[in-house]
Amino acid sequence: MAASRRTTRRTFLKTGAAGLAALAAPRGFGATPDLKLKKPIKVGCQTILSGPLGGYGEFMRKGAVLAMEEINASGGVGGSPLELNFRDEELKVDVGVKNARYFVDDWGADFLIGIDSSAVALAVGEIMPTLNKILIVTHGATEKFNEDLVYKKHIKQCFRICVPVYQDGIASAFIAKDLPVKKWATISPDYEYGHTSWKMFRATLKRMKPEVEFVGESFAKFGTVDFSSHISKVMGAQPEAIFSTEWGGEAVTMVKQAKLFKVFEQTKAFMIAMGSAMDVLQGLGADYPDGVWASGRYYFGYPDTPQNKKFVETFRKRWQSYPSYVSETSYAALYAIKKAVEKAKTLEIDPVIAALEGLQVDRPAGPCTIRKEDHQAIYAVPWGRIKHDPNFPMPILGDLRVAPTDEYYRKPPFPPVEA
Amino acid sequence: MEPAARSGAGRAAAAAVLCAAVLAVPALFGAFAQYFALNVLLLMLLALSFNLLFGMTGLLSFGHAAFYAAGAYSTALLLRAGAPLFPAVIAGALCAAVLAAVVGAFCVRHTRVYFSMLTLAFGMFVYAIVWKWTDVTGGDDGLVGIPRMRLGLPGPFDLNLAPLRNYYWFAALLVLASAGLLHRLSRSPLGLALRAIRENAERAEFSGIRVRRTIFLAFVVAGAFAGLAGALLAPLEQTVAPTAAHWTKSAEPVMATLIGGPFSFAGPIVGAVVYLGLKEIIVRFTEYWLLVFGLVLLGVVLAFRGGLLGAAEALLSRRPWMSGPRTPAAASPR
Amino acid sequence: MGRVLLFQGLVGLTEAMYLWLVAAGLSLIFGVLRVLNFAHGALYMIGAYLTYAVFRAFGGNFWVALLVGPVLVALIGWVMEVFFLRRVYRADVAFQLLLTFAFVLILDDLVKLVFGPVYQSPPTPRSLSGAVMIFGSPLPTYHLFILAAGGLVALGLWLFLEKTRWGLLVRATAADREMARALGVRSSRLFTGVFMLGAWLAGLGGALSIPVRSISPGMGELIIIEAFVVVVLGGLGSLRGAFIGSLAIGLLHSYGIVFLPVFELALAYLVMAAVLVVRPWGLFGVREA
Repeated sequence: MAASRRTTRRTFLKTGAAGLAALAAPRGFGATPDLKLKKPIKVGCQTILSGPLGGYGEFMRKGAVLAMEEINASGGVGGSPLELNFRDEELKVDVGVKNARYFVDDWGADFLIGIDSSAVALAVGEIMPTLNKILIVTHGATEKFNEDLVYKKHIKQCFRICVPVYQDGIASAFIAKDLPVKKWATISPDYEYGHTSWKMFRATLKRMKPEVEFVGESFAKFGTVDFSSHISKVMGAQPEAIFSTEWGGEAVTMVKQAKLFKVFEQTKAFMIAMGSAMDVLQGLGADYPDGVWASGRYYFGYPDTPQNKKFVETFRKRWQSYPSYVSETSYAALYAIKKAVEKAKTLEIDPVIAALEGLQVDRPAGPCTIRKEDHQAIYAVPWGRIKHDPNFPMPILGDLRVAPTDEYYRKPPFPPVEA
Repeated sequence: MEPAARSGAGRAAAAAVLCAAVLAVPALFGAFAQYFALNVLLLMLLALSFNLLFGMTGLLSFGHAAFYAAGAYSTALLLRAGAPLFPAVIAGALCAAVLAAVVGAFCVRHTRVYFSMLTLAFGMFVYAIVWKWTDVTGGDDGLVGIPRMRLGLPGPFDLNLAPLRNYYWFAALLVLASAGLLHRLSRSPLGLALRAIRENAERAEFSGIRVRRTIFLAFVVAGAFAGLAGALLAPLEQTVAPTAAHWTKSAEPVMATLIGGPFSFAGPIVGAVVYLGLKEIIVRFTEYWLLVFGLVLLGVVLAFRGGLLGAAEALLSRRPWMSGPRTPAAASPR
Repeated sequence: MGRVLLFQGLVGLTEAMYLWLVAAGLSLIFGVLRVLNFAHGALYMIGAYLTYAVFRAFGGNFWVALLVGPVLVALIGWVMEVFFLRRVYRADVAFQLLLTFAFVLILDDLVKLVFGPVYQSPPTPRSLSGAVMIFGSPLPTYHLFILAAGGLVALGLWLFLEKTRWGLLVRATAADREMARALGVRSSRLFTGVFMLGAWLAGLGGALSIPVRSISPGMGELIIIEAFVVVVLGGLGSLRGAFIGSLAIGLLHSYGIVFLPVFELALAYLVMAAVLVVRPWGLFGVREA
């Protein structure tokens, strides 16, 4: 792709620059040791780049390219520069599998990152033993990826650097239990992700607050352009609060239409699990009602650490935009690769897997551990309430709340979710 | 009807080139090329089966993915239940044929656009079933972890198909054999009857051809071969997802056929190579592959109105092809 | 129950109006040009983007944008018809379909190039962001506005077709193209005009959607198949059929979501298949010779 070509060309330029920089830099504390690895280390990235959700891919690419530029400018991974190549995942399983095969079998990728669709994550995960490279998923959120593929089927090549559906279905319940409402309803996507997160939400909330009731649900098909009928159906059940896992353009449409139907006046709480994604914040802009509870897989305002501030600043300088969560997760994926390879001192699969297991990654989203049993990155992502601040070009989150990761990440042996 | 390129020698040469190319891929290229070539071969088979209807009778099925998916899902379920590969693939094609018989019973009396739209409706209906019947189909996650093990033939033929190269041989041979069969079929009494229907449905009816029954037969055969393509997909990807049944999948054989040219048997073959090859090349150069691909498509439609082969053929026979292409549906069944 | 039936029905009718605007143009174009325009959803998308661009350029006046945006889409329709479609009228329907499909791909990426892949959505005009209490539930004023706009377009099209000379020519050509030509109808101008009108209608649908839906590349594909279902259900080339078909599909959606949520995805296709099996030429279509 032109962009990837561009990236690739840029990589080589940066490689030259990085080489010089490495020579010029004092060979002392903090310098990257030269491990005499294959040059360059290739990372195949796939993400959705076309159609209504193409904005996601754009943000993912920006995060990955930024990480690559930083890593290469400071000596690369064990002395080898990174090279990235991007392909459109199209949210289609066959395309995702083809991309993965192309990256490994033809282009010579050493690592694979990316993937937005859960179905694609599962399909590509399934062939990773054949390809025998490490895959780090940066967005696809199905719990089956870590619970079934890694923990139960022992597909060791699969890792995930973003919070799974636990953030949407379980952490949300930790917020919901403190809200002064009892009657909940949902408008969510009519596919695995929507159904699972609603099930987790109900199970968790019921356990913590037995008096809650779930009075209505409406599941909207993928690609819904009008939510009016869903809104009117759910509001007919007179809920006090609405929980939703709609995302992307569909979340934007749903909120705009819910606003017209005066849902925010008639309910006491509204939660959107993917509502703090940058595309939703920017897409809704001034239309985003104050007080809506929203989360994502990372929020640029959390944690309040120098490292996160630096990431947001560099990102803004490089791309003239605030980072979305996929920017952070792809950025973190490349840094995790760097750290693991430098720890393993080789590109061989087994040592790198061993290095990744239990690895502590200091990422913009905060300190994070890659759990050994299911290769799932554990870190906290806040929920917060939408507010409008003149200092920001889009709505932001206030009243940030974080559930303890130890409580909301499901743990081995992963009992079935009952709701 | 049959200018130079269609002569017996030309046909044999074309078949030889195709077989040689299929044989050469594993010898000359790596794993990705084999995988990619299989993708092309499966689209070829899908497009050939589509064109059995379209090229001969002018009936454009816009729901061909339903049969493709039927083959893929039933094979996937059988393989997951532990069935050996060869019987599972054949059973997949048969399931698709059964579905085609059901759908065909409703569709064959329709003409032209209404036929296309009815097949589209049935196709999307199958898509909806696949999407919602989670217990059986895995819903939107699809069926993952489809095993690809033993072929299931007796004695020395019981190959292990886990290595991609072995599977390549098996699937490629099956596709080539199917292409040969379809070609024979186009020259069989069924093919002749279909052609007679295309030329003039009423006259065909008068001369004793039972028009609807003939079209129905062709529809079922087309469904079976589309199902075979799907059945071969399941062990290749080791995953089947609902996109296999979506209308965007149905559009692929349509595009391949129209690009290659629906008026000759080899059109869909050439079209499948060009369609997938072009896309693969374009995505390596630009993120805006839709734009580039759309422009190429526009060029093809405007410059080669009978598809690439139609134009080549016209050139060979010095027929002034600018005078307008033959319409395959000049006399669609009424 | 009564509330559900009535209120949900009203909501379904507003959704039907968007479908109607797209389907009307699709059906009109098929009736006269005999071209199944796959790019009609893309024209709806272009309508949304251009209206949004005008909205921003004119300091956020939705009404000016609503007037100008669809007209720009009609101009794009002019380019499509005069420079491209006209060349393939003699080709098979399938090649025409392929040509319009090429436009879908091109337009999708063009809007991404020009406007970026991020969602755009201007706020609802203040005068229409209220709600009216109906059966004890608030129904957005904007939805009432859409109902009125869809009805007005239907009325306008009917008057145009029945009461004007151009309308007569359109009907004559749709009924019998050869005969109309023999009687001296200058078909090339008529074709261009009808295609532009169809494009304008799709553009209007897109324009009306921007305050309440999100704008993104590929949004046209989300509605084009449904629009096909509508025109085929109603009968290709029949505007009355497109109108009734839209209402039927819109209601089917909103009632399906309440009463048959499991089948909602398949409902429209099932109904269309059932209608075609009984009446192969659609509800109001003309039986093919």
